[in-house]
Amino acid sequence: MSSLCLQDSYDMFEMNGEVDVKMKKKKKIKKKDRLEGMKKEMDIVSLTSSKAAEVLERDGPNELLPPKGTPEYVKFARQLAGGLQCLMWVAAVICFIAFGIEFSRGTLGCFDDLYLAITLITVVVVTGCFGYYQEFKSTNIIASFKNLVPQQALVIRDGQKNQINAMDLVVGDLVEIKGGDRVPADIRIIFAQGCKVDNSSLTGESEPQSKTPECTHENPLETKNIAFFSTTCLEGVATGTVINTGDRTIIGRIASLASGVGNEKTPIAIEIEHFVDIIAGLAIFFGFTFFVVAMFIGYAFLEAMIFFMAIVVAYVPEGLLATVTVCLSLTAKRLARKNCVVKNLEAVETLGSTSVICSDKTGTLTQNRMTVAHLWFDNVIHAADTTEDQSGQSFDQSSETWRSLARVAGLCNRAIFKPNQESLPIPRRIVVGDASETALLKFTELAIGNMMEYRERFKKVVEVPFNSTNKFQLSVHELEDPMDLRYLLVMKGAPERILERCSTILIKGQEMPLDEQWREAFQTAYMDLGSLGERVLGFCHIYLNENEFPRGYKFDSDEMNFTTSGLCFAGLISMIDPPRATVPDAVMKCRTAGIRVVMVTGDHPITARAIAANVGIITEGSETVEDIATRKHIPVEQVNRRDARACVISGGQLKDMSSEELDEALRSHPEMVFARTSPQQKLIIVESCQRLGSIVAVTGDGVNDSPALKKADIGIAMGIAGSDAAKNAADMILLDDNFASIVTGVEQGRLIFDNLKKSIAYTLTKNIPELTPYLIYITVSVPLPLGCITILMIELATDIFPSVSLAYEKAESDIMHLKPRNPRKDRLVNESLAAYSYFQIGAIQSFAGFTDYFTAMAQEGWYPLLCVGLRSHWENVHLQDLQDSYGQEWTYAQRLYQQYTCYTVFFISIEICQIADVLIRKTRRLSIFQQGFFRNKVLVSAIVFQLLLGNLLCYCPGMPNIFNFMPIRGQWWFVPIPYGILIFVYDEIRKLGVRRHPGSK
Amino acid sequence: MEEVCMGFGQGGILWTHRGSWFKILGFYLIFYAFLAGVFIGTIQALLLTLSNYKPTWQDRVAPPGLSHTPRSDKSEIAFNLNDVETYLTYTKAMREFLVMYDDDKQRDQMKYEDCGEQPEDYKNRGDLESDVGIRKACRFQRSWLGPCSGMEDRDFGFKEGKPCLIVKLNRIVNFRPRPPSSNESIPEGAQTKVQPNVMPIFCTNKREEDAGKMGEVKYYGIGEGFPLQYYPYYGKLLHPQYLQPLVALQFVNLTMNTELRIECRAYGENIGYSEKDKFQGKFDVKFTVTNL
Repeated sequence: MSSLCLQDSYDMFEMNGEVDVKMKKKKKIKKKDRLEGMKKEMDIVSLTSSKAAEVLERDGPNELLPPKGTPEYVKFARQLAGGLQCLMWVAAVICFIAFGIEFSRGTLGCFDDLYLAITLITVVVVTGCFGYYQEFKSTNIIASFKNLVPQQALVIRDGQKNQINAMDLVVGDLVEIKGGDRVPADIRIIFAQGCKVDNSSLTGESEPQSKTPECTHENPLETKNIAFFSTTCLEGVATGTVINTGDRTIIGRIASLASGVGNEKTPIAIEIEHFVDIIAGLAIFFGFTFFVVAMFIGYAFLEAMIFFMAIVVAYVPEGLLATVTVCLSLTAKRLARKNCVVKNLEAVETLGSTSVICSDKTGTLTQNRMTVAHLWFDNVIHAADTTEDQSGQSFDQSSETWRSLARVAGLCNRAIFKPNQESLPIPRRIVVGDASETALLKFTELAIGNMMEYRERFKKVVEVPFNSTNKFQLSVHELEDPMDLRYLLVMKGAPERILERCSTILIKGQEMPLDEQWREAFQTAYMDLGSLGERVLGFCHIYLNENEFPRGYKFDSDEMNFTTSGLCFAGLISMIDPPRATVPDAVMKCRTAGIRVVMVTGDHPITARAIAANVGIITEGSETVEDIATRKHIPVEQVNRRDARACVISGGQLKDMSSEELDEALRSHPEMVFARTSPQQKLIIVESCQRLGSIVAVTGDGVNDSPALKKADIGIAMGIAGSDAAKNAADMILLDDNFASIVTGVEQGRLIFDNLKKSIAYTLTKNIPELTPYLIYITVSVPLPLGCITILMIELATDIFPSVSLAYEKAESDIMHLKPRNPRKDRLVNESLAAYSYFQIGAIQSFAGFTDYFTAMAQEGWYPLLCVGLRSHWENVHLQDLQDSYGQEWTYAQRLYQQYTCYTVFFISIEICQIADVLIRKTRRLSIFQQGFFRNKVLVSAIVFQLLLGNLLCYCPGMPNIFNFMPIRGQWWFVPIPYGILIFVYDEIRKLGVRRHPGSK
Repeated sequence: MEEVCMGFGQGGILWTHRGSWFKILGFYLIFYAFLAGVFIGTIQALLLTLSNYKPTWQDRVAPPGLSHTPRSDKSEIAFNLNDVETYLTYTKAMREFLVMYDDDKQRDQMKYEDCGEQPEDYKNRGDLESDVGIRKACRFQRSWLGPCSGMEDRDFGFKEGKPCLIVKLNRIVNFRPRPPSSNESIPEGAQTKVQPNVMPIFCTNKREEDAGKMGEVKYYGIGEGFPLQYYPYYGKLLHPQYLQPLVALQFVNLTMNTELRIECRAYGENIGYSEKDKFQGKFDVKFTVTNL
């Protein structure tokens, strides 16, 4: 009984994971009950409405429940509570407290603290909104599954046919489906007539599956008597009982599998978190140390708190997260122009660090279109042109045999083009008919010309359609020459069956007796084509004897009252879903880039292997264990597994493997193909790769791929062929379905990683010259050289553009010839990068700032030695006649404006040094003279813009009281230039060293 | 050097390597020593370019501030004339300030000279950079401040409720204040005070509602203002004994037991005022004198 077959096989599809394990036990008991119950109910054929209502109450409506998402406000709050954000909140609070206290004291300039607090909060909130918006854009997965839910279903209840809402279907309901309907639930077929369903979105099989009441396989996905929720019935009618509804259906499970898979953190997110932790830690460390130092020196608590706040503001790179986001979105835009749409910004970089690509076969590597690949006639295998745009080489078509073969293929064919498609290229036209007939129709249309008209010339008299017992199809035609009154019988079918019926073979247009020699030649050709994973059909024909079958002879298709043996064999035609033209090249490029391409498909092992070999996933000369065994004539067990580079594992084998065995298989065979895999198994394969430390990209198009797409570090869905579910689960969508676009993605990803490294190094450098003024201020008590608002202007205004412009930098070397980065070793920010930025370049910048600061002070009358220890007098609000080195008397406000002058001068120094910094960051190994100063136009304009902005801040009227900038003497712009040159020269020397001694890295 | 700096470049550091810590330490020692050398060298070079006598720029210090003694927190002078304690700090500050104007400190003929008791024109003592060396300073006698000199009344009128303030124009090297050339920019009450070779100073009530409550203000000093013969100032090095001309203000008829806001301004062509700087060319002070 089919119900038994169901019960066992369903367990195979069970998901692992905690929830499912728990559910499993319950389900088993329940399912038995349910199935028992169903048996009884089947006798009375239909449910009663009351019983249905009862079951509906128990099981819930037949719909996919959306997963419990995080509330939006929690998501938003999370954006505001990152490591750096928390620090900035603390700083803002301290500012508020300081403002409150100083305001009550009536101190001059206390509003600076208020502005600072507001600016800090604005920065946090704006950055938070930006991040939230990015997250918001990645859409909810379950929504697309919902779109698949049918609206109405024809159900038999109380012995009557009713049209009801599909949501109200319950287990045990009897439903009818017909061509064009969507299957309303998982249904076991109890009656079917020519019913075919399209399972492609679920299993990845491109051919329509016929559905009959027989249970043909223990796997529910393979058996013929189950139709799945949300698939489409293409033709015929069927009646069946509902066996599962809602989330318990196969698609419901895939949906819950996909949404149950947590969103993995992207490698770049991990990197950013890693260094944000470092920065935040260091900021607190510095802040706290100097808080203690200040308290120890004898500052008041409030002052020490303000120092703490100022150090945090100085040290935290406020603009960094925005810079990273902008850099990533620039790359995302660049990718979008190349037909890769990135849904999750961070995924832009993930492709760059990808070390394994698990690719689906159908529709990703292949065209998802049966196409004639080879022909065998005149004892030669001819290769047909399988490219999408018919740009390939064609074979010699001069032979008479070819003409006969093409005639058979064209006439013995029921497929027809849909009308009004003349403007479309032939491969794109829509055809009514099954896959192989479609392939043949298009092939003959291309080779001969207008097939519809051709067929009319050969009027069809009778035809016998294909069936599974005789495994052939034949038709009888009148000849196009009206004088020739013979009938032509054409036949195609399984090659061995066709050969059985032939007694002659057509060689170069001549009929030759079919002797042993030819039979052997046929066998060889058949085997050769079969081993390519191609579906082979045999073709033969015969001119019926004019006397025996005169015009008007009554042909009977059932009795077959005509010659069906002793035919003339014309040839073999083999078909395959061919790989896309660009794929082999792309796979090759991936290989040179150190990326492993693994095929994971729902298709059969032989086809999978053939395509894998075709596109280069299995390279020439690589053997599987089985190949070695055959070659050496030894049992499979005796083969050393390590000798086999390639390995093909089917879903059945995979089921029996432990995760360790799978890991071992992935480790020992560089070239892997997984065939006949379920969505669950795709997930397991991805997990296994991740366990081995790889960054995994998954490409796919079907619903069955969506859990793996979600689990992968980066899921890539096909834009044209892809199902909505796959697109939603994916992080990236290839609009042109072109696997080769992935290579572009990898290149851009690697480039952006390199460039982000440069951007971050650039951004981090200036934190030191921002921090040192405070340290000197606290310890040596000089008038404050650099204010918090000025720091924020550097962080958020002037330096943003150069750091973003580094994203436009060209690659230094051929990044596509390097291995993918090791996520554990090649960090975005490592100690040496930080040390170099902070303690070398940053130190030089600090000295530049102080030089300019002391210059400005000395030239206005305050000698450096006088400045030391001056702080308490300098900041005394009531002291209106403080004497400088020349005996001049300064009021408090005059000193304050002098202090603002110092801020501005320090600001200018940092800017000038940062220009040198951005120039040195352009390259990490090459000399800048090799890379070219002006090749990155964006960078050049960013520098110009930075200078203009600096000038605006300095010389725009009103700035002194808004942002504490003073118009400074032109000479002070030139003081830091020698330090800028020093930075430049120093780094050139370093790069020279790195180039001369690459080993010492 | 090259070898080392490569080792610490972006390429990566073998942090764990034994002995590399010493290398790193050594490298940074050399590196920072070099930077510090460059820094000190630059600063030295900078100092060499500076003049000893006059700052390179005077962008922020001019126009001069107007400062007064006694200073007070929040510019508020509040006292009770019956309670010495309440004004002791003020009078003490004034006495301390006037010490350097004591006559016996100005006896040295080599350092001081008389510049007359009437306002005169600028006293040119040669160029700043010339080799004349230290310049003489004009004497300023405390007695010119009259009742506010603290010579007879050591309480500067505070005891009687007629408090004095001593005002000076902040020193600026080589600054020559120019008296107002016309009466246009000067309030009516002060117009009588305009005379050649003197910078007038004039106080009014700051708030409308205080009109009439301030009473009379008496001005003491040469020409009741800042006479020009005391300018220019030649800086600390050339003019170590320099004494600024002072003006004493005495508020002889303040309304008692009220808060009065009084603003005093110095007037001149090159005297400027700023909204942000309450002490540039002017100051304001809040008087609360109680007699209860």
